[in-house]
Amino acid sequence: MSGVFDAEKLGRCISCGFCLPACPTYALTGDEAASPRGRITLMRALEEGRLDVTDPASLEQSSFCLGCRACEPVCPAGVEYGTLLEQWRDHQWQGAARPVLARWLMALVSRAWLLRLQGLVRGHARGKGEPRGAALLLGCVERGLYPEVSRAARELRGELAAPSGQGCCGALHAHNGDSRTGGAMAALVGARLPGVIVTTAGGCAAHLAAHLGRERVKEFSEYLAEHEVVPSGEVRVAGRRARVALQDSCHLRNALGVFAEPRALIGAVADYVELPGAAGCCGAAGTYSLLRKRDSMRVLAPKLDAIAEAEVDFVVAVNPGCLRQLRQGLKSRGSTVRAIHLAELLAMAQRDWTLSKRKGDA
Amino acid sequence: MPFTAEFADELARIVGHQHLRLGPGELAPYSRDATPLFSAEPDAVVFPGDAEEVSAVLKLATEHSVPVVPRGAGSNLCAGTVPVDGGVVLVLTRLNRILEISDGELLARVEPGVTTNTLSEAAEKRGLRYVPDPGSRMVSTVGGNIATCAGGLRGLKYGVTRNYVLGLEAVLPTGEIIRTGGRLWKDVAGYDLTRLLTGSEGTLAVLTEATVALVPAPSGGGTGVAYFTSLEAACGAVAAIIESGVLPATLEFLDRKCVRAVEEFARLGLRTDAGALLLFGDDGPAEAVAENIDRIGKACVAEGALEVTLADDITSAEALLAARRCSLPALSRLGSLTILEDATVPRPRLAEMVGRIDDIAERHELRIATFGHAGDGNLHPTCVLDPGDTGAVERAHKAFGEIFTAAIELGGTITGEHGVGAAKLPYLLDRLGPEQVALLRRIKAAFDPASILNPGKLGS
Repeated sequence: MSGVFDAEKLGRCISCGFCLPACPTYALTGDEAASPRGRITLMRALEEGRLDVTDPASLEQSSFCLGCRACEPVCPAGVEYGTLLEQWRDHQWQGAARPVLARWLMALVSRAWLLRLQGLVRGHARGKGEPRGAALLLGCVERGLYPEVSRAARELRGELAAPSGQGCCGALHAHNGDSRTGGAMAALVGARLPGVIVTTAGGCAAHLAAHLGRERVKEFSEYLAEHEVVPSGEVRVAGRRARVALQDSCHLRNALGVFAEPRALIGAVADYVELPGAAGCCGAAGTYSLLRKRDSMRVLAPKLDAIAEAEVDFVVAVNPGCLRQLRQGLKSRGSTVRAIHLAELLAMAQRDWTLSKRKGDA
Repeated sequence: MPFTAEFADELARIVGHQHLRLGPGELAPYSRDATPLFSAEPDAVVFPGDAEEVSAVLKLATEHSVPVVPRGAGSNLCAGTVPVDGGVVLVLTRLNRILEISDGELLARVEPGVTTNTLSEAAEKRGLRYVPDPGSRMVSTVGGNIATCAGGLRGLKYGVTRNYVLGLEAVLPTGEIIRTGGRLWKDVAGYDLTRLLTGSEGTLAVLTEATVALVPAPSGGGTGVAYFTSLEAACGAVAAIIESGVLPATLEFLDRKCVRAVEEFARLGLRTDAGALLLFGDDGPAEAVAENIDRIGKACVAEGALEVTLADDITSAEALLAARRCSLPALSRLGSLTILEDATVPRPRLAEMVGRIDDIAERHELRIATFGHAGDGNLHPTCVLDPGDTGAVERAHKAFGEIFTAAIELGGTITGEHGVGAAKLPYLLDRLGPEQVALLRRIKAAFDPASILNPGKLGS
């Protein structure tokens, strides 16, 4: 035994294969090696020393896996696949084996001052409040790419404190082969924001909950539901209620079991449309869409088809990675459908937002 | 074992490099299926794209005497897809199209890699039903279901997979492609090779297409649950139900240990003081269903049921069925090695068989809970243990050997629906006798003269 993996967690898998149909990479390939059960078999071979750490297939599979954890809710035996995947990457993604881009991003987000600077430049939400109540996590990616999300969240819930020196939660490290640093960063965020942490990113929510405890972390829709907040107003398009679909965040749904709340909130301000496969990964998967763009697009393709068929006005995401993925995908197809964050949709409703005409409608 | 680099090159020429796997990390995942305690690595894995490629691979393997193990999703519980002699694992997941659904003929033509659930859903959309309903249907393939003649929850009223296979396209180990049966219910031209191949566990030919019968989807359904003080009492009720002239679609039981594990796991509000639970259901026109469910409930009460609960809507029916469906997860959470076995006895001997299983478990100091299809006499003794405890693993082997012997003594069999595979092969002689085993081997030799197809399983 090499002690790479938590023996109890690895031993839980009963090899029944019930995870296979839930796995996006198995669906793409039909290859056992690209399924959760096959990957656990690889982990066991590594653990028992039957497979070398440099084995190219094992390295490839540890990277091909999206980490979406869709295998967890369907697992009869309760295997914590997400944790095993982190341990696997800790073991295999060392030194040159870790993609350069991942190394570069990890260095970037672990510098709190840099995040603070880019957030200030981009104009993220700012609000003093009292961090001992509930604080809004500004996120590392979201602060730079989508500062409008945190602004919308604070517009809806002014009581949320939003101190800018909070740093990054460390999910990016944990998912890229450095779970130790990832855990330490989560603990640091927990110390800087001592009360309940509210986040608009499903990935951050799951990572923080794993390290700080479930009760300290609330995803935004969950927070609104708990406070029985129902946004006033509605979002309208061309004289009717907007048709709005949701793309679940994998970590929010599969790790934390939150999926009803965002649907209910959308339904309160617009006509909710369930996309077939809304629960399945969009292919963004954190850094996956950057590290494995081609595979990421293969996972996204059927979702874009489903969106086109559903004739919706908006697709809502609850995680910045998903938001970026959907926007890029929709843009590449020249779609008129807009991808926005849940907080933005709800803020629009609060302002009784109306689009008089859909783009593309002559 | 003559697997060589030249042989691998030939495989690559047939299926293309992208559909051939040779590296250690690529082969390791194919060393096992859903059967605990069995594992062996192949020398190569191929993903053929059509029957011609399957034929070319098999012909080559026969010429070089290299073993070939056909595989679907690898969800079988009899080590049927473990390559015990190495060689090539032939994965059929690329053949995953539904080729045709004919409403007029009530049939579907599918490739073997289609999952059973995909076929069920496609049939449902047309107002039809593919009847076989194995517990693994979300993952298991139609080809695998046919190869093992899978059963499921609807066996009593509707029969198992073999009742729904009309015709097959199969590739013989020597490369010939044959079509058995066809699209007809009535067809007695020649030996019934369709039935012979159904349940042959990939030892005679590789299935590349199947024509399966569909039925009109029933218009309604109903479900109920009855609690008894003991499994004997529950079995008495099973007999009384059948004697009352009702043939329910579903008649499942959980023993005391299962009821407790399920309730502990799923909190469905089951009575944990009961010695056994009987789950019953029927489908068809609403009035007939209501009458049948009522009769079943009354039969249970007459046999001393502690309590009978009927589900009056689909949600509560699903909650009841969930109890049966989550037996495996509930039990598997009690320990990390879960051995789910399969034996069948004549219906009237069910209680006696469960009693014997309990005795055997106690004698070997093992935790064995039993659930199963009461209507079919098909039971699943399930042992939960710690894989690190080698003593316990050994005792489990012994205990299951005794369980299979007990099943045979009671006029039953060593497997009702999981198959023989490598796991049950040592017990097959006891079940069939030497003459029949010899005949099986002659049949095997007629199909597979070089003995390359799934060696170490049926016909070996």
